[in-house]
Amino acid sequence: MSLELGLVSVLPVLAPVAAAVLVLLLDVVVPGRREPHLVLGAGGLVAGLLGALPGLRVGAGEVRSALCLPGGWCAYRADHLVSALQVCALGAALVVLVLTWRDWAAPGRDGGPEGTGRAPVVTALLLAATAGVVAVPASGDLGSLLVSLELATLPTVALVALVRTTWAADRRARAVDGAVSLLTTSLVSFGLLALGAALWVAATGSTRFDGRTQVDHPQLVVLAAVLLVAGLAFKLSAVPFHAWTPITYAAAPLPVTAYLATVSKVAALGGLVVLVRALGAVDGATLVAVAVLAAASMTVGNLVALVQHDTVRLLAWSTVAQAGWVLLPLASVSAQAASAAGSYLVVYVTATTLAFVVLAAVVAVAPVARPTSLEAQRGLLRTHPLLALPLALALLTLAGLPPAVAGVVAKVVALRPVLGDETWWLALVAAVNIALGLAVYLRWVAVLLAPAPTEAGPPRSQVPTRLWALTGVLTAVLVVGSVLPVGAL
Amino acid sequence: MSGAAGRVREDLLALVPDLGVWWYALALLPLLLAAALLLGLGRRRVPPGHRVVHRGSMATAGLSALGVAGVALDRPVLELSWIPSLGVSFSLRPDGLSVPLLLLTALVGVVATALHLHPAREPRPEPVDLADTDPTSPIPVVRGEDVPGLATYHACLQVVLLGALVAFLAGDALVFFIGFELVLVPMWVLVARYGDPGSDREGAALRFLLVTVVGSSLVLLGILAVASATGTTDLALWAAEGGASLGRGSQLAVAAVLLVGLGLKIPVFPLHTWLPWVHATAPTAGSVLLAAVLLKLGTYGVVRLVVPVVPEGFAAWSPLLAGLGVTGIFWASLVCLVERDLKRLIAWSSVAHLGFVVLGLATGTQAGLQAALFGNVAHGLVSALLFVVVGGLKHRWGSADLGRRRAAVREVAPRLGLALVLGMAASSGLPGLAVFWGEIGSVLAAWGPAADRPEGWFRAFAVLAAVGGALAVAYTVRVLREVWAGDRVEPRVPDAELTERTALRMLGLLVLVLGLAPTLLLGVTAPFVEGVLAR
Repeated sequence: MSLELGLVSVLPVLAPVAAAVLVLLLDVVVPGRREPHLVLGAGGLVAGLLGALPGLRVGAGEVRSALCLPGGWCAYRADHLVSALQVCALGAALVVLVLTWRDWAAPGRDGGPEGTGRAPVVTALLLAATAGVVAVPASGDLGSLLVSLELATLPTVALVALVRTTWAADRRARAVDGAVSLLTTSLVSFGLLALGAALWVAATGSTRFDGRTQVDHPQLVVLAAVLLVAGLAFKLSAVPFHAWTPITYAAAPLPVTAYLATVSKVAALGGLVVLVRALGAVDGATLVAVAVLAAASMTVGNLVALVQHDTVRLLAWSTVAQAGWVLLPLASVSAQAASAAGSYLVVYVTATTLAFVVLAAVVAVAPVARPTSLEAQRGLLRTHPLLALPLALALLTLAGLPPAVAGVVAKVVALRPVLGDETWWLALVAAVNIALGLAVYLRWVAVLLAPAPTEAGPPRSQVPTRLWALTGVLTAVLVVGSVLPVGAL
Repeated sequence: MSGAAGRVREDLLALVPDLGVWWYALALLPLLLAAALLLGLGRRRVPPGHRVVHRGSMATAGLSALGVAGVALDRPVLELSWIPSLGVSFSLRPDGLSVPLLLLTALVGVVATALHLHPAREPRPEPVDLADTDPTSPIPVVRGEDVPGLATYHACLQVVLLGALVAFLAGDALVFFIGFELVLVPMWVLVARYGDPGSDREGAALRFLLVTVVGSSLVLLGILAVASATGTTDLALWAAEGGASLGRGSQLAVAAVLLVGLGLKIPVFPLHTWLPWVHATAPTAGSVLLAAVLLKLGTYGVVRLVVPVVPEGFAAWSPLLAGLGVTGIFWASLVCLVERDLKRLIAWSSVAHLGFVVLGLATGTQAGLQAALFGNVAHGLVSALLFVVVGGLKHRWGSADLGRRRAAVREVAPRLGLALVLGMAASSGLPGLAVFWGEIGSVLAAWGPAADRPEGWFRAFAVLAAVGGALAVAYTVRVLREVWAGDRVEPRVPDAELTERTALRMLGLLVLVLGLAPTLLLGVTAPFVEGVLAR
């Protein structure tokens, strides 16, 4: 039995992994330097991105596969949608790396415990997690799916916990709290996934996703699918598996929160896409489970987001609501469901990343004590119009309101399969949630538009150039996506 | 196209340059560019003076109106592939239904940008009676002045116009929806930031936003349901198919969702509760745009997305719709008899007028549809006229409370008074003025509805609507007696200034012309109506 490797196709996964190993090796060679590690990490992500880009051009039905057995089954399969998800994840990870560059490269105070900064460890963790995320949607069997999902999750726990030693003690304690709740939920979800996988194998007699050759126990497959969906819903922070989200988001450093809110979601959705495709014609029970998850997520997420006073918490709950929107199309039997969910996710990740980048810039310049509170951003349009306009664009995209046409089209794409099925109750819940979501995001936009408070003092510092660059690039992506929407992938 | 109007159009066509689809560039691009420019200017440390902003904004609206006139005469068709993966094309395709509304939007756009925005002031002291009146109480400024955020205000007006024009022009359901939604955020800013500070303007703005967003979300559901059944979002194909690919159950559901969504926007009783509050709070130009353009998006949506697309579903719901329309006429007219806020009173009378429009639509006959379309445009003109007058009076008085004793408008501001008389007379359905034809047509059509409508019910609705129309005379008399007539001349208020005079003349003239020669408008809509109800 010979294995066909096809390593070029696996480059999106291999490049970050290789970079992670090289970063650790580099640290042995030049223990005193920090910038080279970050450059190497960014290089690994860029190489992965370039490796995934050709996948965007493959036509419908074509697959870039690797690690294939002679029988035609492949452990790694990337079609158009999977490649798009990979590009999205790698791009967002790159943004997070740039966002956190200064923080990770800076040494601790007075040669204290962090005399040489933390770059090697955290960069390697970020790269490893990203490699896991990229591998999830392409996995061709249950084993790779579970391993890559854990690879995508466990390093993020360390990323949340490993905050700077220069932080105040209670702040660091909260970060550990957040990491613990993330760890607990990810272990529980892994337990559910493992149980689901075991039932799956029992029902189908195979760990491979290659079209079910024989199904001995259809009921077992349904049970397995429901358990697997529940396990993945933890990662996607869908209600009722969302409890860790606000705690961890508020406790983690801002760039890590951005990572959890964007890149990690790609892993969860990637897993769902793999699952939906493996199930083929999905059966009713799974559909109802997904529909209930979607409806509950968007409603609870929006309602709680509506009363938040801190922007990071608001974004955390908005993530919960958006998870519902990502799940929404998967609740239909339509063939376009997976691609609709993927398309929505790409728009969501772009807009959320932009929101976090602007938030980081606001934190960098804000003269007030709690820069992430909603109140601190009053009148931002007047004081920093070039930050407020991209932020407003990102929020309108999340709300799905013109002039952010990209967001409208994403909502259309997500709703289309549901209405194709005429699942009216779900569609009506979604319609109410469009209005609720609008109230959530426009509450923030209204704060930006409001007259600025009387002079709050001069800005602490300038916005760093790298943040301007990121804001510019992401805004351009959203503007182009609004003028010439891609629609469904 | 009926004879005379058709010849006029051909003669005019020979005169205008043949710009083809470039008319669209002239109609839409100035608004887009001006909005961006004004937003940019408003952010500068030293914002430009009010004259620059005001004239620039008016010139933009005028240029755009020129483009719209060209579009209306030439009717070019624009088809661009836009979102291939969803089969959506960016198509603009004006027809007999949209042309009158496009022209109305362009005209109202010029009027709205021309009106001056005034900063919020304390209400003028209330004169207890004639003896105590302080004759030196300050006379309010009615000319243009520097207002903080004036550039943003005008940018919002431009975006509202842009969205409305796109929605009326759209030949594709998704493009319509995007235009429909584009007006929301700027309108929200207009009410929340530039509204009457004496009332809860943020609450009113939020109410407007949430109600209309719920409405447009439902419209989106309806559009997507039809789109997934027919496999296209092209409105012409939808109308041609006439609901053949939807079963009866689906037609009922789609029609219900769309009618509720659009009914929130029109608004139809009992979904109208947001309208009076928002009107009472919005700045004058905001009220004018809201009444004359935004509400029209609702009725336009019904005629475009419901009547031809799901005819069976619409027929099933139409008795209920007609009943609600008549209830709205009655309810709103009764409220008008007791309402104390003049601006809110005009808003209530809008609900009554739109009740007639809805009744006409529900009859399912060509005459009913014609009357509804006519009433729609007539209401746009009359309500724009009345809101210009009433908004001006509110600014002059410091409030619109009818309970306070004021100088008779006839005595102190005869020009405004004349416009008020004209507007209220038209609003009460006086023959010879525009609204008359819409209302009488709706009542007559309801007397003889289409074959698949319950005739008895519709006859009862016709009688009730006629009685409701008589109530309009009562509240007209009330308004004129309390505001216009009388002999008090203190406290003085200035009469209409140049922009108001020009706006009132244009609108008043059109109200008269349409009242005297209704065929001008009926001739334009006739081909569309015959096309829709020929089947």
